Amino acid sequence: MTDAYLRIEDLTKVYERGQVVALRDLSFTVAKGEFLVVIGLSGSGKSTLLRCINRLIEPTRGKIVLDGVEITGLSPSRMRRVRRRIGMIFQQFNLIRRSTVIANTLTGRLGYMPTWKAMIGLFSQDDRERALENLARVGLREKAYVRADELSGGQQQRVGIARALMQDPELLLADEPVSALDPATSHSIMQYLEWMNRERGVTVLASLHFLSLARRYGTRIIALKDGQLVFDGPPKLIDNAKFKEIYGEDAEEVEVR
Amino acid sequence: MRDYPEGYLSERPSWTTAAGLADLVSAKLTVVGRGLSRSLLDILAVALLWVLVTYIYLWYGHKIYGYTVIPWWLFGVLTVELGALWGAFGVSPAQRLSGRRLVREDGGSPRLSQRVVYWLAWHVSVVPVLTLLVEPPLHERLSGLRFERVRTTGAAPIPWYRTSTGLYTAGVMVATVVAAIGVTVTWTNLQRLISDAWRTAKFWQALVSPDTSILQASFRDLIVTVFMAVMATTFSVIVAVPLSFLAARNLMKGPLGRIVYTLLRGTMSIVRSIEPIVWAIVFLVWVTARRAPFAGLLALWVHSIADLVKLYAEQLESINPGLIEAITSTGAGRLSVLRYAVVPQIINPYVSFTLYRWDINIRMATVVGVVGGGGIGQRLYSYVSGQQWSLAGTVMLMIVILVWAIDYLSARLRAKLA
Repeated sequence: MTDAYLRIEDLTKVYERGQVVALRDLSFTVAKGEFLVVIGLSGSGKSTLLRCINRLIEPTRGKIVLDGVEITGLSPSRMRRVRRRIGMIFQQFNLIRRSTVIANTLTGRLGYMPTWKAMIGLFSQDDRERALENLARVGLREKAYVRADELSGGQQQRVGIARALMQDPELLLADEPVSALDPATSHSIMQYLEWMNRERGVTVLASLHFLSLARRYGTRIIALKDGQLVFDGPPKLIDNAKFKEIYGEDAEEVEVR
Repeated sequence: MRDYPEGYLSERPSWTTAAGLADLVSAKLTVVGRGLSRSLLDILAVALLWVLVTYIYLWYGHKIYGYTVIPWWLFGVLTVELGALWGAFGVSPAQRLSGRRLVREDGGSPRLSQRVVYWLAWHVSVVPVLTLLVEPPLHERLSGLRFERVRTTGAAPIPWYRTSTGLYTAGVMVATVVAAIGVTVTWTNLQRLISDAWRTAKFWQALVSPDTSILQASFRDLIVTVFMAVMATTFSVIVAVPLSFLAARNLMKGPLGRIVYTLLRGTMSIVRSIEPIVWAIVFLVWVTARRAPFAGLLALWVHSIADLVKLYAEQLESINPGLIEAITSTGAGRLSVLRYAVVPQIINPYVSFTLYRWDINIRMATVVGVVGGGGIGQRLYSYVSGQQWSLAGTVMLMIVILVWAIDYLSARLRAKLA
């Protein structure tokens, strides 16, 4: 692992004055161009991990090094410059519900704009064209001027992807991107992520609930349990015994086709 | 440092750190608070019913105001004792509210002997508060009983009239109603409500025969009233919008933020609890009665600020934090996050609340006028006090039409925004 793109060292996150430990001395590395899937039960620390990487959540202890830059301890303004190259998509899509699809997509450029332009919504012509291009890429070109809350769940998530594409991301964090979607739509969304990973060379960190999706799309899987790493390896190494260790004795694997 | 084994420093007893000590103190306070509140609630419940019943007895029986019949010390001892008995032998209101019951260690329902021990030990455990510091407290240890959350079973619940708390609640409700009637209604004023109705006939008559000679002058006052409301609302929005961000719990984090939040919310609720009419009197004294509409304007302004800050801040507290995360993760700065994640979620409710407050201010402006705050209300008051009924009737009709129109307008506008 010479070209570690993202290195996590002894990452610990403790909530509420030591009452809840979300992550416990977590260490791993991610190479450039990997599609890393994070699995684990609800509350195992997947979301916390992803949010620590772009510091939406401040880690309690530990180090995160991204492309040679230690991002824990960066000043807020330098952190923003790092953040704009890290796309993120969410389980609940998190779009501005009353705004149009293109307005939502354009917010992906906010990190590249001076504040005064952002305040009056002065996006450049170039940005607008790229927004339409990216919407066309996710198949929503003709929905560009429709309000975001009029779209279906899958379409909203595609707007989320378009927004992330606007950032020219090197790294994409996907926090349970398909948990609110039906199986057919899930695959469509996952295929967009796969496309970003393969064609654009974006390193992807996605947390998923379904092991079958993780196996199908991930190049590598890590599993968390109570904030600790319990598995790290290629998808094919997760057998039944490993599965039971991650999800508990009573778990049955459910397949998403 | 290097000589110490790793983790040495973190193995200090937790109470030697400030946070650990705070945790310890708050844990102890929680235990004491829980133990005390369990008993206090029952005692207060007993005291409440006793006071109500004796009050009614004294008022109807002896035509005097009085509360306990018995001496206060006896009243104190009796209520504490009854509260303790209720908690030990029945299902008391405190137990119901907390959803917990007394059960044996093995989960079964308590034996009578255990209840007696519990009740006796309660006196040495709860009355001197200090013994509550141990968990479980002394009386629970001695009796072998403890408070456990009751699990909901499939069995039908006991109907309210067969539970002590249900009967108690019904008793309090009846007693409250009876006592309230005793305070407010007497037989003579009930009679006068019927027999003296004719006295208001002149008033009703005048109301339906308006005097149009003052129409023009009144209309000018009406416009002053509307302007008072519009200006009060506009100026209060200018102040309330920035303040609301400081009064939203989810935006004000950290110790300093918490202090600002608490102070601001506290001040606002005090200001809001003082009626506009009182504010008008204050400002009339302050800016002198010669500028009456200005005093009315200030009164509405102050009250509107307090009201709007609360409404706005509550709206801010209910926004979806996910959108803030999403915009932050694009690398946007603080102001951009506010502009793209917070503002879109609050803009419509803000406008809606402002319209609603404007609607209230129109009505309040007339009320404020009555104490001399200018506008149509002042005119109405001078006619009423001069017993010029038909002039007063004209003004009242104008107010009714205005309020109805504004009400309708603001409702339509708000429906559009929803």
